[in-house]
Amino acid sequence: MKLDFSLITRRTFLNTLFFGWAAAFFSGAFYALMKFAFPTLGKEPDFVVLEGKAFKGLANNSVKPFPWGGTVGLYLKRADGSVLALKGVCTHMECNVAYKPEERKFYCACHQGWFDENGINIAGPPPKPLEIFEITEEGEKLIVARKGVKVELPKA
Amino acid sequence: MRRVGIFGKKLNRFRLVRFGRWILATALVWLNAAVSLAAEPVAVFPEVPYDAFIVYESLAVFWIFIIGLIVIIRMKLREIERTQRLGADEEDPNAPLLQ
Amino acid sequence: MNCPRLKDWLDERYDWGGIKSLVKGKLVPQHRYDLWYYTGGITLFLFILQILTGMLMALYYIPHVNFAYESIIEIVTKLNMGWFFRSLHHWGSQLAIVFLFIHLFGTLLLKSYRKPREFLWVTGFILLGLSIFFGLSGYLLLWDERAFAAVRVATGGAGAFPVIGGFIKAFLRGGVDVTGDTLLRFYAFHVAILPILVLALIGLHLLLVQYHGMSVPLSLEKENRREEPFFPNVFYKDLMIWLVVLGVLVTLAVLLPPEIGVKADPLAPPPENIKPEWYFLFLLETLKLFPGSILGLNGETIAIVVVSCGILFFFLIPFLDRRSARGERSPLFTWISVIYLVYFLVMTAVGFFS
Repeated sequence: MKLDFSLITRRTFLNTLFFGWAAAFFSGAFYALMKFAFPTLGKEPDFVVLEGKAFKGLANNSVKPFPWGGTVGLYLKRADGSVLALKGVCTHMECNVAYKPEERKFYCACHQGWFDENGINIAGPPPKPLEIFEITEEGEKLIVARKGVKVELPKA
Repeated sequence: MRRVGIFGKKLNRFRLVRFGRWILATALVWLNAAVSLAAEPVAVFPEVPYDAFIVYESLAVFWIFIIGLIVIIRMKLREIERTQRLGADEEDPNAPLLQ
Repeated sequence: MNCPRLKDWLDERYDWGGIKSLVKGKLVPQHRYDLWYYTGGITLFLFILQILTGMLMALYYIPHVNFAYESIIEIVTKLNMGWFFRSLHHWGSQLAIVFLFIHLFGTLLLKSYRKPREFLWVTGFILLGLSIFFGLSGYLLLWDERAFAAVRVATGGAGAFPVIGGFIKAFLRGGVDVTGDTLLRFYAFHVAILPILVLALIGLHLLLVQYHGMSVPLSLEKENRREEPFFPNVFYKDLMIWLVVLGVLVTLAVLLPPEIGVKADPLAPPPENIKPEWYFLFLLETLKLFPGSILGLNGETIAIVVVSCGILFFFLIPFLDRRSARGERSPLFTWISVIYLVYFLVMTAVGFFS
């Protein structure tokens, strides 16, 4: 079928073209602005390197915090002497958790959440366990890494 | 000039060569210091060639977008001027209302 | 795109028709010199861009002596496109000042300042002064040795002003010398005090333009001339020019990102061949013309007084030019304007290439 007249006026066509083009143009510029305004700086590290000395002498049934990016990691030596490193941030509302030695549990004071000494959520609102890290020893250094991350130390 | 000559004779004993080692050492230290003081300038542009290429490419795309937009605006302007010549841009107060 | 209900909703609350007819009623004359009308719009556009890029930089900049320089290096080297936005802010300021001067001399030579538009001239002149102060205060925020030396010289020059010079200098520096207090003070000027003043004055300037309408050069006033509606014709032309300016600006920002020097050290000697920003060069070269002492008086003070008188005369031109206020030709002031323009260009060039 051939139409004698266009259904779209020249004006509508040009308006659509203009506003569409301008929208693409400005969304591109806006994307660049947002990329600057929301940087990837301060994101979680893949691993941190710790001085082994300070952590190896830790007493049983106690924790030592270490910096993990902008937040805190916890190095736990259980009562039986086994060790565990985990991210000390509650999975509910991102409060820092504290270790309660007498109950052998992690406690989040914000909304009364409880985790056991394996980091499993056992009571309160937390929806999932704490994030567990892998610990490897390299001479004097302790390397705490996220699970499944290949550690590549920078050449000193 | 005579005085200079006297001093010149005295100075002759302090031959430059005798201090050559020290002068060289000091010069080297200073050179080193100067090089490290004039630390490499802050990179104000992506240094990796690949990143720099992306930047130039984006600049070209940016200009293409601008030129495209200008062409569209020119077409719109011509259309506006055409309707103005026709007098079609004046609103007709008696026009029936379309729903 | 047609929302009759929204239109009705607005119509019940606002006199939409009134606004529409107001916009429709704005006409812009067309003539040989109508290109000059766009210089003001370009400056406005560049100001808007400066505000945008400035907001972005303010997200990361730290106005403290120990961290200012480092935070800019962080912006430039670590953040996504940080180098680009800093470069854009730098070149935006340069172009804004260029177009301010073009706008100024266009107004001067076409005698658009004449009655009844004296206040437009006054607000524009204050805006120029504030913009230059914008440039100076922004320059120091980098806190590298060039910025430090330049600000020391500029504020010191203000100190040579008779009677109130010492007060101005102390006020600008926030102390006897250029220190961290000066940095913090200039930061406050740059991001809080000046923007508010400038925005208010731009608003007044634009309101006055709307009130008076566009000025037509004296020589063309008698001819019958064409006019075109501001919206949509001139609006779209403005948009095209803005796009070209944006393209040029982005190209400059990409190809010539401004360097970052060595961090400022108040104890170190200034670097070789130090120069202030180009829009101070004509002042600097003028000051150099004067000898150290004239008839036993401090040469610098005399130089500053002479320069101030020149600027004051420039500022008062609309009130002194009686002939063009009456609508007659006034070749005397055309010549004065040309002399000012040539002097500005020559002295800037001399300062730039010396």
